Amino acid sequence: MHLPGPLACGAVLLAALLALRLYFVLPAFGRSVGAAARRKGKAAARGAPTKLLCVVLGSGGHTAEMVRLLQGVDFERYARRLYVVGRGDALSLNHVAAVERAQGGSHHVGLVPRSRAVGQPWLTAPVSVARCLWHVAALLYDYSPDVILCNGPGNCVVVCIAALVPRILGLKHIPIVYVESFARVHTLSLSGRLVYPLADRFIVQWPGLAQMYPRAEYIPYLV
Amino acid sequence: MSVFVTVGSTGFDELVRAVCAPEFLQALTGRGFGRLVVQCGSSVGQFAPAPAALAASGIRAESFDYADQPQRLVEEAELVICHAGTGSILDALRSGKPVIGVVNPGLMDSHQREIAAELARGGFMAVAEPGSLAQAVADGAYAGLRPYPRADPRPLGDILDEETQR
Repeated sequence: MHLPGPLACGAVLLAALLALRLYFVLPAFGRSVGAAARRKGKAAARGAPTKLLCVVLGSGGHTAEMVRLLQGVDFERYARRLYVVGRGDALSLNHVAAVERAQGGSHHVGLVPRSRAVGQPWLTAPVSVARCLWHVAALLYDYSPDVILCNGPGNCVVVCIAALVPRILGLKHIPIVYVESFARVHTLSLSGRLVYPLADRFIVQWPGLAQMYPRAEYIPYLV
Repeated sequence: MSVFVTVGSTGFDELVRAVCAPEFLQALTGRGFGRLVVQCGSSVGQFAPAPAALAASGIRAESFDYADQPQRLVEEAELVICHAGTGSILDALRSGKPVIGVVNPGLMDSHQREIAAELARGGFMAVAEPGSLAQAVADGAYAGLRPYPRADPRPLGDILDEETQR
């Protein structure tokens, strides 16, 4: 009989530890530390120290919806904003300029390569996703946001995955808030399905989706 | 009374052609409209109502590709006919004016149809296709709609606060 080498044993042990850690940190399993505590009243939030909000701008209609959503966010509390924008997305840059005009605090735009261009063959996707992930991870490391707000598509999945790394390592829990597009009435988008197990709060704008996905919160008329 | 037609940020050839058709112009006249304003986007070349049809209906028509202040044109109109894209629909509904959303039958994206159908089911908007638009206007499909509730994104701000209060 051939005994497994120490390398194989180590790998199995590491995988098991990672699985156990994911079980404890992923919101999907309901064991996310502090989740219940955070839900207790929001009055205490007012007057608290300012926070850094990371906003992931998808493109086109997603960015337009995000602009509407940001009108509900208190920029005095989120005194610093980090916008993650896909390289070449001029429309999103214009929207950032419009949103930030006459706003206090500070903001920064982080340009990242697209995780997958429209029509790009799936075979080359892993390379571009890895490149995007690298840029996103560097941004998150530099800015260390306190919360991530995203509404798809593409890059937002990469940002959410990168945001899990400090959580898995026990360094910082960066909550992820995902808002599914108003255009999604009966089914989640691909980004929505991918982010669903990762997001601390998952918001849908039509009631049917909340029935299908128990962790989703239905909030109408957000946009 | 005036009607504002908008295709949004891209183009929608079938819609622009539909609002040039004599039966559409006649339907407008039948409903008491005298003015037709069309934002055509990249379909601006498709706007070519027959002068005879215009004269027969008595409609004053104007068209352009993009408007500097589309919201003002919406405010001036008694009826908004828009491409059924999410952004266009939300802009139109926010105005409180009656809205007919026109679904692009050539588009593969079924969400447009989904969302238009859902809003129509709620009685917030009328839905048509380019081929049925004239009939929808003639039938007054846009009458008796419910106003769409004002957008309120503040619950999202509350959720962010809850998540960051530690």
